[in-house]
Amino acid sequence: MRALAIVETKLLLRQPAWLFTVVIPLFVLAVFGLTAGGGTDPGGGDAHGGAPATPAGDSRSLTGLAAMSVAIGIALVAFYQVPTTLASYREQGILRRLATTPVRPAALLAVQLVLQVGLAVVAGALIVASARLGVGVPLPRDPLAFAAAFVLGVAALFGVGLLIAALAPNGRAANGVGVLLYFPCAFLAGLMLPVAGMPPAVAAAGRFTPLGAFREALLAAWAGGRTDPLPLVIMAAWAIALAAAAARYFRWE
Amino acid sequence: MASGTPVEAELVQAELVQARGLTKRYGDRTALDGASFAVREGEIFGILGPNGAGKTTAVECVAGLRRPDSGEVRVLGRDPRRGGRELRERVGVQLQQAKLPDAIKVGEALRLYASFYRRPRDWRELLDDLGLADHVGARFGRLSGGQKQRVNVALALVGDPRLAILDELTTGLDPHARRETWDAVARIRDRGVTVILVSHFMDEVERLCDRLAVFDRGRVVAVDTPAGLIDRVDAAYRLSFRPMDGTFSDGPLRDLAGVARVEREGGRVVVTGRGRFADEVTAALARRRLLVADLRIEPRTLDGAFVALTGNGGTGRDGNGTDRMGGDR
Repeated sequence: MRALAIVETKLLLRQPAWLFTVVIPLFVLAVFGLTAGGGTDPGGGDAHGGAPATPAGDSRSLTGLAAMSVAIGIALVAFYQVPTTLASYREQGILRRLATTPVRPAALLAVQLVLQVGLAVVAGALIVASARLGVGVPLPRDPLAFAAAFVLGVAALFGVGLLIAALAPNGRAANGVGVLLYFPCAFLAGLMLPVAGMPPAVAAAGRFTPLGAFREALLAAWAGGRTDPLPLVIMAAWAIALAAAAARYFRWE
Repeated sequence: MASGTPVEAELVQAELVQARGLTKRYGDRTALDGASFAVREGEIFGILGPNGAGKTTAVECVAGLRRPDSGEVRVLGRDPRRGGRELRERVGVQLQQAKLPDAIKVGEALRLYASFYRRPRDWRELLDDLGLADHVGARFGRLSGGQKQRVNVALALVGDPRLAILDELTTGLDPHARRETWDAVARIRDRGVTVILVSHFMDEVERLCDRLAVFDRGRVVAVDTPAGLIDRVDAAYRLSFRPMDGTFSDGPLRDLAGVARVEREGGRVVVTGRGRFADEVTAALARRRLLVADLRIEPRTLDGAFVALTGNGGTGRDGNGTDRMGGDR
């Protein structure tokens, strides 16, 4: 199991795809963060010091941008990395080959999941740190709520990735489905343009998607204040439903 | 427990694999239709047949990857579906078209798979045996087809199995790579590993296998040594020569036992027949003191036997497993 984890980690790092899940959200953060605020945060800073132009909880604030970036990063891991890796392992017969050894193929899936969650955590931490150091967004005001949002968000979004992996016939198809699904999900979730600038009906519908609920919960926890349980409940429901569907439809070969 | 003559010892040779009356259907397609065979310890046992004959399904049942609809499989005395870890420790499997991630290095893959087993072989020595020692640090995706296939063989052997199952080993390889792979398989047997070799190439089976089962439409139509199968099927073959004497007459040859036809092709006399007709012809020539030059007897090959047994001449290069279909494990 340990040997499997070491080799799989090496394989993940050896392929450049994982870099994009970190670089793309950081790029979004840098481009919009540095051009919009000129390095100051109208919504954050030391909070009650002055009357900020945009409240930190608003989707157009720099905090809102940071929450968008984290959501983008995790969504990229969940929509691209997870399904492409798992579906191609099945396509290449790697799971079947493992089934003939003393090690069970489920061990490989477990190692991959732990690894991808680890990648999600690293990407999230990098973006939070960059937001703090590069753009001046303070660390999340409510770390506990932030952690809860992160855990449930990873669970819900990985559910999407696992379902794609279960249904896609091969690695290439999984990748294609991931791309096709990412863009509408990202738009509905307010990752393409801030929710405040979206038609109200679209924005309202977006709240109920896994990615939309994730961004909303991250932003609320980042800005602080009362935690709205609705996005957390939505993510938990998605996580359970998607994981059950993925388990139901998963094929080993 | 073996006593007496070597012949008797051979008769009681242990059977590592016993398959009896295997059937397997995928939807309305029958992959196996009552197939039975047994594999003896220490031999290379070939499974030969046209595409779609059920070869892969049969070995998948032996490997425990599929459950037959009916019939019984015993591998090392156990049910392969319930044999669990103990059985998987001792049976190495090289699957048709199984790959590795392109980015993995040969040495990493071997070390990883060796770590799965309690008593693995020294994987460096194994790579050496298979002529891969120079590629320990190479990525799998950069290897040639023959090298990849030998890595697959190495992975099947790294657990030091008693039984190795090798499916469509040389499909898609160039002639040089095939010969290298054949040498590797022969060395495996020489180490005492019993091998099941699935193939649809006559030359491969004829060269490597001690015994083989011919599959056709989900059934085993014959089990024998390659030579035994050739003998068993009474296919017509040809003998030809050039008579030294210009007045040579064909007539007396036509009456010999087994002779079907006597024809002239240019200056050559071509005799076609069955069974031991060639002996009859050469004896008759000697009796009459007729001098001939350039006497040729066409070798009888497994091809003829195979065609006669299966009514199928197709031994093309298309090996992408029409006898494999999706389904639950």
